[in-house]
Amino acid sequence: MRVAVVGKGGSGKTTTSAIVARVLGRQGLSVVALDCDTNPNLGISLGVGDDETERLVAMRQALDDGEEEHAPSWDDLVARFGSDAPDGVRLAVVTRIENPDPGCPCCGLSAEQLLSSTDFGDVVVLADFEAGIGTLTRLQGASIDVLLIVVEPTPKSIEVATRALALREEKAIERVVVVANRVRSDEDLARITAAFPDVEIVAIPDDPAIIEADRAGVAPLDRSGSAPAVLALTGLAGRLLAAS
Amino acid sequence: MTASTNGSARRLRVAFVGKGGSGKSAIAGTFARLLARAGHTVLAIDSDPMPGLAYSVGVTLTDLGIPEDAVVERAEGEEGPRFRLRPDLSVAEAVDAYATRGPDGVRFLQFTKVGGALTGQMRSQQAFLQIVHDLPDDRWSIVGDLPGGTRQPFYGWGRYADTYLVVVEPSAKGILSARRLARLARPGDEQGRVRVVLNKVRDGDDVDRVAARIGLPVVGVVPWDEELAEAERQGRPPVDDAPDSPAVGAVASLLATLTEGR
Repeated sequence: MRVAVVGKGGSGKTTTSAIVARVLGRQGLSVVALDCDTNPNLGISLGVGDDETERLVAMRQALDDGEEEHAPSWDDLVARFGSDAPDGVRLAVVTRIENPDPGCPCCGLSAEQLLSSTDFGDVVVLADFEAGIGTLTRLQGASIDVLLIVVEPTPKSIEVATRALALREEKAIERVVVVANRVRSDEDLARITAAFPDVEIVAIPDDPAIIEADRAGVAPLDRSGSAPAVLALTGLAGRLLAAS
Repeated sequence: MTASTNGSARRLRVAFVGKGGSGKSAIAGTFARLLARAGHTVLAIDSDPMPGLAYSVGVTLTDLGIPEDAVVERAEGEEGPRFRLRPDLSVAEAVDAYATRGPDGVRFLQFTKVGGALTGQMRSQQAFLQIVHDLPDDRWSIVGDLPGGTRQPFYGWGRYADTYLVVVEPSAKGILSARRLARLARPGDEQGRVRVVLNKVRDGDDVDRVAARIGLPVVGVVPWDEELAEAERQGRPPVDDAPDSPAVGAVASLLATLTEGR
């Protein structure tokens, strides 16, 4: 299963990716979390800390200076440029670097090329995309199985989500789930359901526990595993598992 | 110091950068409106391919962009981008004619049109870039909203700016993103043109510690503000919807800080 997570900047993509990845990991699945953002922060939400998150980024950039050897394959990319996160999740950073070697799996392939050209076998791939719809636009047909569109109940966020959803058919995406995030009221949820009437929607309540975890730089799952938003995202992971 | 509206002492050119969702466009839109009320001739520019600033300034999303007949295709053998403004139309004239009129006299330019064919987009976008890069600095104060994230935010698309304001939420991800931006900014920034505005600051956030970790000077601190969040949910400009809110007050202070002593 290949899952991509998109949405406006700050909508909660990274938090969603991290919790879903770890919950699937707890179920015994082999999970790789791919940070495809050019401003990679997924490590923080997964719970590896900011030093380790920066170390992965620096290691990727050391490729540029010839200080690191290239990875010859996808497996090797994950092994060499990845880090072990809790619950058996393997984190890898797919940041674009400055002087890529064309076709090289660890630096010459963009996130979208990696997704379309690699056979991931039984591995569940959670790809946390860059804000906006750029990566999704460049995706080749049938590169992902599930698209999670994270959306807040604001017009700005709904605008981005609408544009992402419009690409569903062109990108042959089997399943789309709108993750209605930071929902405070029925009115908030109604704003989102009105914008996406025919799409599967999972509501995530607005939750100070997420903000507190972000301030502390730790994984919401570790700090507040039973907070309402964490439970709702755990439920989302369960739904993905049930249908796959 | 007194200066005419067109006097160089009064012009201000700022570009907002920062992590997605840090609150760039809410602050930039508010800043643009308040700057116009202070007597500046303001052009607000949204360079983000995903529209956001329009809501915070208070202009409607339809009919934005440079119209097709203002743009021509490059002639055979000519250098440069495929599309540019008609030769009889200066950049300044194009702004006068086509920047959308918003409240308080703010004029507004948006990188992408809403909907429309792809070639139409390209015509409009290349004319947008020509305007943003070449607008003479004799009249307009500029408030720009640059795309979120850390991908080439400085000195390209924000060439018009004399000050870059990095909007930072004091979360671990926000601080990490700001440290990366600080690293990108430093080589070209001998004059200290890149500064930080802390946003969504809550009780218990340690502003000094956050500032020290980022390593750039802090020029503004905007508190977390429920009223502003509600304005965002409604898609309304904070300056209209929550004029007396603490966040709008903090943006007014930021504006005072930046215009002082100019």
